[in-house]
Amino acid sequence: MKFQAMANTASRWLKGDGPEAGIVFSCRARLARSLEGFPFPPWAEESKLRRVSEKILDAIKKSHYLKNARIIDVSELSSTEREFLLERHLISLEFTKGGRFRFLATEEEEMLSLMINEEDHLRLQTIFSGLQLTEAWRLIDRVDDELEENLDYAFLSRYGYLTACPTNAGTGMRASCMLHLPALVAARKINDILKSISQLGLVARGLYGEGTEAQGDFFQVSNQLTLGLKEEEIIDHVERITHRVVEQEKKAREALLKRNGIQIRNEVGRAYGILAGAHLMSSQEALDLLSKLRLGMCLELLPGLNVQTLNELFFLVTPAQLQIREGRGLSPLSRDQLRARLIREKLSKVR
Amino acid sequence: MRKMLCQVCKIREANVHLKEIIGGEVRELHLCDICAKEKGLGEPFLPGFSLPELMLGLTDLEIPSSVEEGPECSGCGLSYEDVRKKGKLGCSLCYQSFREYLNPLLEKIHGKVYHSGKVPKKGKKEYRLDKKVYGLREKLKEAVRKEEYEKAAELRDELRKLEKDGRA
Repeated sequence: MKFQAMANTASRWLKGDGPEAGIVFSCRARLARSLEGFPFPPWAEESKLRRVSEKILDAIKKSHYLKNARIIDVSELSSTEREFLLERHLISLEFTKGGRFRFLATEEEEMLSLMINEEDHLRLQTIFSGLQLTEAWRLIDRVDDELEENLDYAFLSRYGYLTACPTNAGTGMRASCMLHLPALVAARKINDILKSISQLGLVARGLYGEGTEAQGDFFQVSNQLTLGLKEEEIIDHVERITHRVVEQEKKAREALLKRNGIQIRNEVGRAYGILAGAHLMSSQEALDLLSKLRLGMCLELLPGLNVQTLNELFFLVTPAQLQIREGRGLSPLSRDQLRARLIREKLSKVR
Repeated sequence: MRKMLCQVCKIREANVHLKEIIGGEVRELHLCDICAKEKGLGEPFLPGFSLPELMLGLTDLEIPSSVEEGPECSGCGLSYEDVRKKGKLGCSLCYQSFREYLNPLLEKIHGKVYHSGKVPKKGKKEYRLDKKVYGLREKLKEAVRKEEYEKAAELRDELRKLEKDGRA
């Protein structure tokens, strides 16, 4: 199995050293680009896909930011290996379907990566810890400029960068933040918040982006529109609304501690107890309990724990990470056993 | 109050109402329970739900059947019917080949707008000029609509000059 070394190191953005990292798990900017003169991937024959991939791989080699990137041929991967990359937010759900001449290029720290021949010829992304969308945009903008020197992007003055789906045309940019909102969920305010977010032109999705459900109190919010606004305006808009949600979550956390202090201490303590003592743990249960633990850590109820440990735990215990780590496929029972053991070990180290 | 019919089935009464304001333009969707559920609108909060995506689905239904014999894209050879079925365009030239269908669709998704973000370094000058010309044309249309002919004449002259300079 591939990626064993990768499974033992955490992505850079999991460190949790960005601003507001207690609530903003990560932020991400992505750009969709197409090459002039080639059919879009959903329609393209293999010969065209190959030509596109050659051109982009060549541009990567000439890029200062990406020349040392690891190039992964997605068609050579097993379904577990693809799942592994999805869990690490390096590829999309769409990309897990595989197919020939589909590539992922990722730099070592996994903050900068790109998919070749996903829905569009090129999907470039940057992920940062916490609320640093402006930084994410600055980096992706520079990489995009560099790649453009060796590629002819499909572009029209009126519609901007052209994409396979008209919902992405224009800037081709999606700016998103992954938010951990356990207090707003507990206070049953989350639906109102998400509703008002959508009225402000943002869209809320689940943990792994498009087509996935909200789990472990994580919500991904991103801009809905890509055409008619400058990239900086989109970034600013998403950032400002995220700030407001962060403020709401902070207030909800304070209120929760003030009004239901004993219940919260009880729940966090119990979650810790189960995580520290269980010998079998499903991934759903782990997500739910870790979410409580993460809240407890932010409320300073668990002095020995820090954001990084918690963030890493969230990733460590997902099904594909576990199997890649072990280097073999595991039955659900062995996975639950291994998951419980890893959590116990990690928690015993901090206390 | 007058009963409103669902915009999808056009049979049942609409009782799910969605409203969105983008750039001062109000867009509304009215669906019945059953169609709303089919569109994944059963729950109060829907991960992955977005009005443009829904609109995209709806516009599909509104496209007249005559489209089936419509033109083919000069780049990829697909018809608009092919593209519509898959929900993905065939190539970048589709944006020009199918502009009579795509312009209203793009307006429905993004509002009546012009790209104002980043442009590729190659051809930057032309893109800027295109945008200026577009802006003046829109102003000209507006002036004619308001019967401000003096202003319209000025705008027309400005446009001619710009287009001449651009070609030079």
